Amino acid sequence: MAGTASPRSEQRRAAVARFLAFASAARTVEITGLSPLGGGALQENWGLDARFSGGTLDGEQRLVLRTSAATGVAASLTRVQEFAVQKAAFATGVTVPEPLFASEDPAVWGKPFFIMRRVNGIAAPDRITGDPTLDPALPAIGERLGRELARVHTIRPPGPDLAFLAPYADSGPIQQIARFRAYLDRHSTPRPVVEWGMRWLETHIPPPARPVLCHHDFRTGNYLLDGTLLTAILDWEFAGWGDAHEDIGWFCCKSWRFARPDREAGGIADRTPFYRGYQSESGVSIDPQRVRFWEILASVRWAIIALQQSDRHIFGGERGLDLALTGRRATECELEILMLLDAERNFADG
Amino acid sequence: MGDLPGGAALLALARDVLLNELMPLLPQERRSDALLVAKCMAIAQQEAEVPAEEGQAILREIELLCGQGADALRRFAHDLRLGAFESSESHDRAARAILWRLAVAKLRQSNPEFLAANGFD
Repeated sequence: MAGTASPRSEQRRAAVARFLAFASAARTVEITGLSPLGGGALQENWGLDARFSGGTLDGEQRLVLRTSAATGVAASLTRVQEFAVQKAAFATGVTVPEPLFASEDPAVWGKPFFIMRRVNGIAAPDRITGDPTLDPALPAIGERLGRELARVHTIRPPGPDLAFLAPYADSGPIQQIARFRAYLDRHSTPRPVVEWGMRWLETHIPPPARPVLCHHDFRTGNYLLDGTLLTAILDWEFAGWGDAHEDIGWFCCKSWRFARPDREAGGIADRTPFYRGYQSESGVSIDPQRVRFWEILASVRWAIIALQQSDRHIFGGERGLDLALTGRRATECELEILMLLDAERNFADG
Repeated sequence: MGDLPGGAALLALARDVLLNELMPLLPQERRSDALLVAKCMAIAQQEAEVPAEEGQAILREIELLCGQGADALRRFAHDLRLGAFESSESHDRAARAILWRLAVAKLRQSNPEFLAANGFD
């Protein structure tokens, strides 16, 4: 609460100031603002304003401290790993907030965290997809996002700084399906539609792809727009080696179209500009059949994540209306799985 | 036999008061929480209003396909995982019909707006 900082929060501010001074080689660092930011279902983000004297960040800085929520979902990277992924993306020219420092020292914040620059913009997907004043700019933003994603996919294994990422042999579709099934076997409620979807996926796995770095949550809601300018790709916590079409299918998955399900590329544009941006940047042709496979897998995966989110409320001791309600979205994914599989069947039947 | 107004009607009334009378009094930063509360109340209200017969009818269809016994839904899910209905066109068709009924019935309770947005009555 403003103006009533507890002794614990004062200790935290002092510890963060010391950490920043050491990491940036500053003579002193004064924390002038520290407050939680909205968004981030799985991680906590804190707005951090600081005045640096000397060192690499001399002057006033607007930063973000990103740390883990009390509970998470199994597939999430640690914050220090996420920091390394974000550094790799930044070095490749992807539009991400510059990652600055990371720490696993519990004496600073009580749990691992990293610091990045704070950039302006909104991520709210209902505003981005539902604000008609943005409409004229959205196809160009879709194309830009295609280019950004293509840049992410230029990062390929083995990345010397990304050795902690599971090899693609452990994260391909067969392995993902096995993990989803193992989760459902422990879950209290059977999900026949999800099982049906996984069975289809298991029997339609495309030939292996040359693995690339996948963001694995590249979607509307995870980028920032400042007006009509793309200012950041966010939330790298699920990144890993994968099939490039996986990210494309996830971006186009109906669950991430929000107010505009008719705009198949993230609720902001037709697929054409998004694909055009991706293809022109990468020189790689997108295979629509392969995207369809990953789009069905996206609905299955989101159903599982939705259930895991509500588990955090039901079993994980993390009371929250939004977490509790997210589990209900699994059934929305199931309807989408059925619609996609019916369309796929009609397509196969000619 | 319960007293009137029943649980579903009370929830509908409470939700209306929340959205139309209390919401304007809330500070801006808590309104999204109030909308989530209203969403929870709507789900609870819709679930209270849906008769249990539909769920029972779907379970009977599953038992026709998978045989009678305990935990028919879990056995159905397991059979789907193994592709047990794929060798028979009629079983495959019956399984798909059940899956559709299951999904639509659950959404009719919890999210009829989503169903309508996807072209279902």
